[in-house]
Formats: sequence, C-alpha cells, structure tokens
Amino acid sequence: MMPRAEERVPVTVLTGFLGSGKTTLLNRILTENHGKKIAVIENEFGEVGIDNDLVIGAEEEIFEMNNGCICCTVRGDLIRILGHLMKRRDKFDYIMIETTGMADPGPVAQTFYVDDEMQRNLTLDAIVTVVDAKHIWEHIDDSDEAKEQVAFADVILLNKIDLVTPEDLDKLEARLKSMNSLAKIYRTQDAAVDMDKILNVGGFNLDRALDMDPRFMEPEYPFEWSGLYALQAGTYEWVMGEGPDPSMDLVLLPLSSTGLAARDATLMDAVLTFSDDESPLNPEETIRTGKQHHQLLLNASGQSVFPCVIEQAGLYMLFTEHHPNEFDASLRMMGTQIDPQETREYKPDHEHDEAVTSVGITLPGDLNLDKLNQWLSQLLRTKGQDIFRMKGVLSVKGWEERFVFQGVHMLFDGRPDRPWGSTLRHNKMIFIGRNLDRAALEGSFQQCLV
Amino acid sequence: MPRVMMQRKTKPQASPEPLKSLWRSHIDDHVIGLAWSPDSRVLAAAGVSGPITLFDGETGAVVHTVSGHTPDTMAISWHKDSQILASVGQDGKVRLWNRLTGEQCAEMSGGSSWVEQVAFSPHSDELVSAAGRKLRLWNAAGELIHEYPDANSTITDIKWKPDGSQFAISAYNGVVLYDPRAPEPLHRFEWQGSTLAIEWSPDGKYIATGDQDSTVHFWITDTGQDLQMWGYETKVLELAWNQNGRYLATGGGTRVIIWDCSGKGPAGTKPLLLEGHTHLIKHLTFQSRGTLLASGGNDGLLAIWETSKKHTSNMRSSAVFKHAIAGLAWSPDDSRMAVVDETGVVAVVQL
Repeated sequence: MMPRAEERVPVTVLTGFLGSGKTTLLNRILTENHGKKIAVIENEFGEVGIDNDLVIGAEEEIFEMNNGCICCTVRGDLIRILGHLMKRRDKFDYIMIETTGMADPGPVAQTFYVDDEMQRNLTLDAIVTVVDAKHIWEHIDDSDEAKEQVAFADVILLNKIDLVTPEDLDKLEARLKSMNSLAKIYRTQDAAVDMDKILNVGGFNLDRALDMDPRFMEPEYPFEWSGLYALQAGTYEWVMGEGPDPSMDLVLLPLSSTGLAARDATLMDAVLTFSDDESPLNPEETIRTGKQHHQLLLNASGQSVFPCVIEQAGLYMLFTEHHPNEFDASLRMMGTQIDPQETREYKPDHEHDEAVTSVGITLPGDLNLDKLNQWLSQLLRTKGQDIFRMKGVLSVKGWEERFVFQGVHMLFDGRPDRPWGSTLRHNKMIFIGRNLDRAALEGSFQQCLV
Repeated sequence: MPRVMMQRKTKPQASPEPLKSLWRSHIDDHVIGLAWSPDSRVLAAAGVSGPITLFDGETGAVVHTVSGHTPDTMAISWHKDSQILASVGQDGKVRLWNRLTGEQCAEMSGGSSWVEQVAFSPHSDELVSAAGRKLRLWNAAGELIHEYPDANSTITDIKWKPDGSQFAISAYNGVVLYDPRAPEPLHRFEWQGSTLAIEWSPDGKYIATGDQDSTVHFWITDTGQDLQMWGYETKVLELAWNQNGRYLATGGGTRVIIWDCSGKGPAGTKPLLLEGHTHLIKHLTFQSRGTLLASGGNDGLLAIWETSKKHTSNMRSSAVFKHAIAGLAWSPDDSRMAVVDETGVVAVVQL
C-alpha cells in the first residue's frame, strides 16, 4: 500500500530574507489559477490571502536527531504538522512551507529523509529562494543564513530587479552561480514568475538528478588565462620572470578555426589536459604543442626561458595556470614579443575559498565500488556538515546502469538508474557547500577510479 | 544495548480465523480519535475535519454527532464515569460534551492554536490538556486548576499513571512527571531525542516511550534508570502493555516486537517477534484483562494475537480492510474491538 510516487504530495520550501518578496510570491502562488489546492505552513506571519487553501502557523522547533551512525537536525514542528496534514490528504494536493527569513533550509530538507511517514506520503520537490537583488549585498558576505538559503536552492528568484542596474544584476547573478551552480536563476519583479518554474521542479528527484542546467557542468577552469595566437612554423620562446609561485602549469593546443565550436573543443581539451598528471619542465627544455600538461619550473631568480617549437603554422591557444602578467611572461620570437590576437581570463576556482561554493567534477572512467563507498562514507562523515547538497551520476565498474545519487548534508539517497547504453560512461558530480576544497575533492575522488 | 536484530522464530501457525463484524458504519472522514466510554456502551469516533460521532456500541446506531472543532479535531478522552467526553482541536479549545444530551457543557482555552493532547484521569474529575508547550490541568466543570510552566518543546503525549496519582508528558528531551497536586514537575527523565509516545505499565513501575530516533525506552520510575532498545525500522508510536505488565508490545516497523519484563526485566533479552503485517504497524492495543493483542497496519490488516504463555505469538484471527487502519480500541469489558480505516469505515467485531 505504499502510494505510488505520483500519489505523494509534493512540497516546496520557500526561503528568503524578510522583505525579499517571499510573501508576495506566496500570495501569487495562492491566487494564481493553477487548479491546485495548496496547504501553506508558515513560520512567520505574513499577509497571506487565502480562499480555499489552508494556512497553518508553526513554531520552528529544531531537533537534533541521532539516527544510528549519523546525527542531524530536523524540524520537529514539520514532522508533526505534515503528519497531521496527511490525514486530510484529500483536501489539498500541494504543500508550501514558508520558512522564517533567518531559517537554515538544512533541517527542513533533512526532515524529509529521516521520517518514514513523510517519505511515504510526501515528496520534497524543491527549495525556492527569493533574493532581494538590491539588499542581498548587505547579507551575502556575512550572513550564514543568506548563504545557506542560496546554497540550498533549486530555484532562485532574483527579485526586485527594477531597483538595480543590469550590470549589478549580472554581477549578482555571477556571484550566486559561483555559490550554487545547480540552481536555476530567474530575474523577477514583484516575484512574477511562471508557476511551472517553481512548482513540480523535481529538485530532489533522483530521476532528474542530472537534468542540470548546462552551465552547472561548466567546469571551474583550472587555468586563469588563455591567449589565441597565430603562429608560423619555427622556434618561439616563452619567457617568464619571477612571480608569486616557483612554478606554473601551461598547455599549448592547436585551434582548428576561430569558430565557437572549435574554441569550445579546444577549451575542453585544455580542461582535460590540465586534469592529467603534470610533467615538470626545466628552463631551456622545450614546450610541446598538443595535450601535454607542462609544469614550468622557474629559476629561483631572473628570467626562465622555455623554447617552443611550432611545426605547423596555424592558430594556437595557450592556457596558463596564472595570469602571465603575474610573472611578466610573454611569447617571443627572436627577441620580439608576440601579442595574442585575443585573450580570455577565467575565474580562478579559489576565489571564494572561505565562502559557499559549488564544486563540479567531471571525470571519465569507471569507479571501483568498494573504494567509492569508502570515499563517500568518509566524506560524509568528515565533511557532511559543510556539504549542503550534492548530486551526481556515476559510472561504476561492472554496472550496466548509471548510479544516480543526491544528498543533503550527511543524508544520502542513491540507486542504479537507466543503463548507459551507447552513451559515453563518465562521472559527473556537484557539491555545494562551505569551505569546499576542490583539489582535495577531485584528488580523492580520482582515487576511486578503477 | 539490546538490539532487535536477533530473532526468536515464531512457530508456524494455523491460519487465523476471519473476524466477523457485529456492526459496520461509515463516517466519511479520517478518524483521528477512537475511544470507548469506560462503561463500554458508547464508542466515540472523532473525524479529523471536526465532528465526533457517538455510536451505540451494541448496535452501531448513531446516538449523537457533536460538532467538535473547526478546523480539525485532534484528540478525545472520556471521563471515568462515561458521562463526559473531552475533545481538543485546532481552534485552540478544549471542549467537554455531555454524552446523554450531545450538548457542549464547557469550552476552555488550550493556550495555543493547536490543542493536540487531552487526557482525563482514570480516577478523578481532572483532565490535562496540551497545546504546543502549554500544559493545563482542569476539572470536569471546565475550571482551570493549574497552568504549568511551559514544556521545552511541543508536548507529544500525555498519560496518567494507572492509579491516577501522577501523569507524564513527553516532548523533545524525554519525559516529565507531574503530581496533579503540585505546581512543579516531579521528575524529568531526559533523553536527547524527540519522545513521541508514552505508556505506563499497569503497576506504574515502568514508563515505556517510543521515540522519533527509532528507539524504545523503559524508564524505571523509582530510580529514573533508562533501558534503551535500538534497532527499530522506523520511529515508534505504537506501545501497549498487557494486563499484568509483563509484556510490552511495540511497533516501529512491520513486525510486532514484544519485550518480556518479567524477572530481571527486558535488558539483554531477545524480544519476541510477531510476523504477519506487510507494511508498517500503526496501532497496537492489549485487552484490559484478557491476553489478546490487536495490531493494525498500513496494509489494512487487523490481526488479533494470542499472548498467553501456552500459545504465544499465534495470530488467532484477522480481518483485512481495503485501506490503512486508522485506529483500534478494545471495549473496556474486553468483549469487542472497534476498528476504523483511513477512509472512515468503522467496524466493531465481537471476539
């Protein structure tokens, strides 16, 4: 008599600071003609207009719950209220939980995983966070709650866009993306948004674990700079002065054309090449073109010169770990500096070391199941408090099916999904959390490969 | 710590007899409270949307339908003399109803919008209500006798000691005992977890609790000692003592788990497991004097188990309802079992 998935009542959690437009959105949801009968659980009383729907006031009660080997916090008030609502399930078909402005969404999300009754009857659909585009800057750097609300979100409404310039919006959106690359971001005025963007989103649905925004999987680049050069056949020199590091990684790849597809392909090659083991190169040793991950070891003082042989004239992309300016570095031929036709800077992935970030990992190859299990349990045990959410699709050695998973803090939900079939087997994962160490995560995950 | 993992296999059993209904009715609502009057003559069934129906226990005829609470009735409890039924609900009220006239005889304020718990003393005119963290003691005329200091968190259950000298409440952080004549709590039995349900052993020696973290505790009331039972499949809301306090039956999963408290108590013992349900057990209740245990589950199965020494663990009789069982109640004279399913089917079976 376990209700089928589609019989379970979806629940949307609405978060956002006081004044962000949460109540406006809630009123919109309740008045919009979507044919749903909605029950609302409110933790603070806004002016919610109600006709046929049900509004219940709740007092936030956060409990620590010892659940066998893990300890997590849940919302006791929600377990009670939702437990009661299920008894009158026929009376509504959607539940919204509006949290207080200062609420941590973690305990709310975890509540859905630690109680069988809740799992049997309800399905957490998504966390929707409303952000005040003008005032969020006052909180985003020093308020843990604001960061958590952004980090946990499946959907972020960037609201009150009429009060800020488009440039500021772009800046804000980029910042939010860096914290949570998983969330879909919509810009709104008066919280006006299509209901299908915020209801039945499937943010916690394993089947949709990888219906990720394409940008979500855009790697955070392991290099900071690239330059596009048109080079002749011959010998060039890459000349570097002293800089902040004793070494710098570099990759030089041919580019077939200046078209977008060719650039993307080369960019992807660069990312993959940077994930290979680097091979150290001393001054006077030759930089080779193609998929070679060079680690240039610099002289302790003065210039370091690395010859670079171009066998075929054409377009090349040079990728460097750091910006060449930091090392006063340039490409030269016969003592003449060759300037790139175009340059691009990439956001360094350690920009927000101390803050909330997303770390996406893409890795080809199959995983050893035992190692994977060990890695995951160790990771959740030691970093579970800092990992707010994670999702992924993994390729396990010997399994025909993809392994899909998602998690909230230490609670983990995963299972085999559809077969890989003819698609390329690979591993994709995203972590959203606090103080995430990309290099450590990537490194330790790589150890799980067969 | 004892674990539930070890199994003492139950014997293969003869197929249980089907149960026959004495009468059946339907109230078209999810029944949230089901209680026989202490004289076994009236069965009260409270629907979650408000109205409370009083059935003649013999015939199933509706004696009265009282309006209950709008929105939502949450719990009911009978006065020992069977003349007053108390109800609480989401209108913030405690209401007392006259069983003979069906009229409301008192209306009191629970202290918060959701009044979730109510319990009449088994031996006096007193009743206790809980609304959120508010705990209030009343008399049967609806007069406030005492308001206690707020509990630590929302009160999840109230149970009177069988001799009526104390009552216990549960909340996050365990159990608190009160003497109805004293303004302050008597004892606190603390557990870092959310305690959901309590049940006194008939002799008052133990308070058993069921917890959100899938544990069952036996608190020895004299000493405050805590025996913890781990390994349940899910949170435990279902607790039932047999008439002499030897057995505690517990749910928290698809099997009935019975602890034997004779001798040195349940610590370190292997419990008895009763198998037959295919989904979570939601209701468990023992006869007040007899040896029969009834269990009802989300699978719609009502099972009657024989727990006397000789026939331990036999499913004696059963009935299968189309929907999850929403409540079970033995008549206080042990002759009948009332059962409701989640669609509001009310049936009384004769044993």
